[in-house]
Amino acid sequence: MPSLNLLGQALVSGVLIGGLYGLLGLGLTLSWGLLHLINIAYFGLAFLSAYLTYHLGTVYHLEPWFSGLIIVPVFFALGVGLHWALARFRVSGLVSLLVTFGFIVVIEAVIQLAWTADFRKLELPYEVPSLRLGRLYVPTLELIAWVLASVFAVFAWAALRWTYFGKAVRAAAEDPAIAASFGINHRANALLIAGICAASAALAGIFIALTTTLAPSQMFAWFGVVFAVVIIGGLGNPLGALIAGVLIGVAESMTMAITAPAWAPLVAFSLLIALMIWQPRWL
Amino acid sequence: MALIRGPHAAPAIAALAALALFFVPAAHLPAFYESFFYILCYWIALATSWNILSGYAHYLSFGHGAFFGAGVYASATLTTKFSVPFLWSIPAAAAVAALLAAAIGAVVFRLNRLRGDLFALLTLAVAFVLSTIVLNTPIDGGPGVYLSAVPLPDIAGSPTATIYVLGLGLAVISIGTAYAVAHSRLGLGLFAIHDDEDVAEAKGVPTFRYKMIAFAISAGIAGAVGAVHAMYVSYVTVGETFGITVPVYVVLMSVLGGMRHWLGPAVGAALIGASLFAFTGGASATIGRAVVAFGLIAVILLLPEGVVPTLLRRARGWLKKRAKPAAMPQVAPPAALRSRSPVSQAGAPLLACFGVEKSFGGLRALRGVSLEVKRGEILGLVGPNGSGKTTLINVISGQYRRDAGRIALDGHDIGRTSAHRIAALGIARTYQIPRPFAHLTALENVILAGTFGGQADRAAIRAEAQHWLEFAGLGARAETLPGELNLHEGKFLELARALAAHPSLLMLDEVLAGLTPSEIASAVALIRRIRDAGASILFVEHNMRAVLELSDQLVVLNYGQVIAAGAPREVVRDPEVITAYLGAAHA
Amino acid sequence: MAKHAGRASRRAVLGGIAGTLGLAAVRPLRAAPSGQPVRVGSTLALTGPLAQTSLIHKAVGEIYVSLLNKKDGLLGRPVEWILLDDQSKPDVARSLYEKLITVDKVDLVIGPYATGNILAAMGVAQRYQKMLIQHTFGLPHLAKYEMQFPASPIGPEPNKSAPIPIFDLLAATKTPPKTVAVVASKFPSTHFISQGARAEAEKRKIKEVLYLEYEFGTRDWGAIAARIKDAKPDFVYFGALGVESVQALDAMKKLDYTPPRHYHLFTAPGPLMLAAEGNNALAYTYFEEHPPFTARPGAAEMIPLYRDKAKQLGIPYPYFDFQAAASATAWQMLEASIKGTKSLDDKNMAAWLKANEVDALIGKLRFDGPNNHGPDQSKVRQVIDKKWVVVWPTEYAPPGVKAILP
Repeated sequence: MPSLNLLGQALVSGVLIGGLYGLLGLGLTLSWGLLHLINIAYFGLAFLSAYLTYHLGTVYHLEPWFSGLIIVPVFFALGVGLHWALARFRVSGLVSLLVTFGFIVVIEAVIQLAWTADFRKLELPYEVPSLRLGRLYVPTLELIAWVLASVFAVFAWAALRWTYFGKAVRAAAEDPAIAASFGINHRANALLIAGICAASAALAGIFIALTTTLAPSQMFAWFGVVFAVVIIGGLGNPLGALIAGVLIGVAESMTMAITAPAWAPLVAFSLLIALMIWQPRWL
Repeated sequence: MALIRGPHAAPAIAALAALALFFVPAAHLPAFYESFFYILCYWIALATSWNILSGYAHYLSFGHGAFFGAGVYASATLTTKFSVPFLWSIPAAAAVAALLAAAIGAVVFRLNRLRGDLFALLTLAVAFVLSTIVLNTPIDGGPGVYLSAVPLPDIAGSPTATIYVLGLGLAVISIGTAYAVAHSRLGLGLFAIHDDEDVAEAKGVPTFRYKMIAFAISAGIAGAVGAVHAMYVSYVTVGETFGITVPVYVVLMSVLGGMRHWLGPAVGAALIGASLFAFTGGASATIGRAVVAFGLIAVILLLPEGVVPTLLRRARGWLKKRAKPAAMPQVAPPAALRSRSPVSQAGAPLLACFGVEKSFGGLRALRGVSLEVKRGEILGLVGPNGSGKTTLINVISGQYRRDAGRIALDGHDIGRTSAHRIAALGIARTYQIPRPFAHLTALENVILAGTFGGQADRAAIRAEAQHWLEFAGLGARAETLPGELNLHEGKFLELARALAAHPSLLMLDEVLAGLTPSEIASAVALIRRIRDAGASILFVEHNMRAVLELSDQLVVLNYGQVIAAGAPREVVRDPEVITAYLGAAHA
Repeated sequence: MAKHAGRASRRAVLGGIAGTLGLAAVRPLRAAPSGQPVRVGSTLALTGPLAQTSLIHKAVGEIYVSLLNKKDGLLGRPVEWILLDDQSKPDVARSLYEKLITVDKVDLVIGPYATGNILAAMGVAQRYQKMLIQHTFGLPHLAKYEMQFPASPIGPEPNKSAPIPIFDLLAATKTPPKTVAVVASKFPSTHFISQGARAEAEKRKIKEVLYLEYEFGTRDWGAIAARIKDAKPDFVYFGALGVESVQALDAMKKLDYTPPRHYHLFTAPGPLMLAAEGNNALAYTYFEEHPPFTARPGAAEMIPLYRDKAKQLGIPYPYFDFQAAASATAWQMLEASIKGTKSLDDKNMAAWLKANEVDALIGKLRFDGPNNHGPDQSKVRQVIDKKWVVVWPTEYAPPGVKAILP
């Protein structure tokens, strides 16, 4: 039987990786649920942001948080532009999946041309020690990522729930025609949402650069789990994505702590299937 | 040109092309072409099989790789561990995959809430679970399975040619199946499920069974493809088999080719499959990928419904412009409505509800409703908003299951019967807000109701459907998609669709609401004609004038209870009814 | 052995049997190669998840071919390398090898990158009876084709032989480990060797305090790191691929823990070498960029060219390690067998390789063992002062360098 300390450490690790799942899923869930675009380009944007963070950090020696101040707004604009183009061609539904898959492939090619296919690792010039919580260690960068992911998710969730803007967006997602007749300018709102989605992807990318070793094809490795997180969290529900991310992250991490790590996906996804079949009220 | 115009032109051309392709090995082309065409066939079979459930019925599966993988490992295990001959492992792999799908379907298709997105998630999760099991058990265990020692029977002269012929065979089978399904009751039912599953069920489509069949066919073909592909790669690993390539590409290919056409996924698969080989040159590989991606984006933006449907529509439009207008087909003489329920004692009620209860959470929508509809009678059902009228129709038609009470049609309890069986027993309904199948034309909407209303002969169904459209005044709108109909036309389409099922009991849910006075007048006349043709009618309405004019019996619901029933003129004078409608002050 | 290598290079200059590359010096000027080019076909995973390493093989191949053409090519004819992208997919690799052989009708083929794709190519080569020299096949017992030849000296049973040097090295220290943790990727070739490492540890009575198998593509290393820390092993054997073990080390560092000794099987050299926690990491190798290896045939010429090329391509770690050496060796074997037989006939060349020794960058290679494998030449390298150096067997270490083992 694993020690309590080990279980606690696995719990920390699972919760933290769940935050990254939630942050990566934020763009997908908002655009799928509210804009009816299955926009997987956010995976590509996240990795583009990660490579830019790497580049700014390695070549120009910029601090990652400072790079973030540049990258996040730029990606916001990029997201707005991308959505403008998608709206211009009236892309929706599964066609959007095809189109944005095309974008990802293009982004992957661009990354490979610019940074080669070889591994890239952003080495910070200083140590970032972990926080101590009793006998547990909490990795600092992952914790910051998790806190930002939570703040992002809670704000997005609250804004959608209680502000006029959020209500307008949700109304338009339900029925664009009726919403329009109430004077809701869904086009402008949608651009803003798309910008937020891209900004969240950029943020996720910065932490991917900080905590992993980069390779262009890795963007595809996150597909399955993030899709699962987004659907189980409820399309269009940023907080749901975060909660589902933490749920899957913890389930995987605990499995890894207790039994052979290779069984982790089985436990996490069996849990998910069971949850869906019995469907507790909060789902 | 004549060929293209004929109704069976496309399948004929496809069959000829397939036949020709079987002789590719005889042409003694370099083996690469066999291998290349095999890869195209592989994608064609996978994408087409995916589309049979996911495209036709719009149940998106992100787990097609699981069924493909089940086939790969079924074949690899049987041939290497049990020395089963390779050819026998193909049907076995298909069976394993189909059974897996059936097992999943038996759970998820019973749960109405697991539609759409959740089905997608569940299939995705199943793929993860299956790959983990294969990876961690002796099925693979990590090192991969090597099939080089498995003998490959010589069918076409060389191993590559043999694999090619097998792949082509599977592609032909899957396209043939997709064609057959699309042109059968099954396909019609799946298309209806695509647009509105509840309505499909209410129109008599056995949705559960159809989804199961489609899922099993879809998975079975994928499993067979997996078996052949295991032999093609000859070394199978979990990483390659259960990667995201298969589940993602089948979706992309189907979307590109067009998901509503049986040939769409095949065309999409051929395009994407070939494009994978377009830029394999070492110097341009990376840029080549980007170019292919841009090409894909451009094609789908130009042809957003998919290559095949868009091109077909344009070709048809072009042909129509050139062709002289065809003579309108002869419409069969009006057929009388025939009651399909067995004749029982005269005077016995056709429908009897006794003490029917239905709650939603804490809300008791029906609190012991009892009423009877006699044969040939029009029963008017009125009540304030939220009094439970539509709920009662939903419960009688089987869309909701009653919590308590008894509902009998012709003396037989139908309280636990599924909606499509109730439809087959002769109960048809319309929807307050029209719910036509959005991607079927007006005529096809009516044909569907006729097909699942018990008729067998296709030509007769078609002629009759045309008749009911004319009866409802929509004869000229037969080829129109429902989205282009106005509200009054939509409501009449609902009527035509209900009538095409030859109901013995027709339930009309506020057909008059929102219509102009002259439209109401024509609708009232229409309803009379329906009754005169032999149907009994349960008629929910707010328009009191029409109710009084039409009803033989009037029932008033309030807060889920019958507060008055009897002859219309008497019921409206009942003080309780007046209170319910106008408030206490007026009592 | 070190002396051997030195002599070998001298002999090569004199026109010995094989590997006649390292001869920037004394060759009389010749006319440029002429006539129909000799066409060599291969695929590499230029895109997709195996692209990192394929990049190295592409660079080495291009350098080798240009060097050949600067001299007298092959049999006096210029050499043309037809390189296709198999997208890291074995099924595509199979089709493309069929294309190379039946459509492009190349004279010779050379292997693609990574086990799965090589196996796919091997099937094609076998059907068309083409000799296949490959550089990176990890499962020798599956390489049953009699005309396939490995450039990597991993021996016929790497699961048994590859773990020996690292355990020998540990046994030779003052404090041999008493406990070991084996952390194995479920990737076929690494998994296979990890099983051998477990057996080797057991044979040496080192207690296995932890054995973990993880899925290829694991993202969350926190729990695995915590388990290793919890087990407190004297030594961690990572049967890992690419950057997996780097991420595991990173996760352990976040728990304020670095295992006292850790070994990494098929790791990407760059990230581990530069990471702080990678200091003194041990890893698998059979070639590093220092003497005695650099005295071998072709090394003096190839390595600087490779550095330039890598810089020009923007490869972040322009470092010539065993991956690049295996790639160059495959070409040397091809060249040697052509020169040895003065023909492009696959059967003759294969027979020649079976009968002769090739003195190549990787060392003296023989192909007379099971499945054409020679003896295992695995070695252990270590990150010392941010550089990889071989530390075991000691005669391959650079002068004055010893393994640093706490």
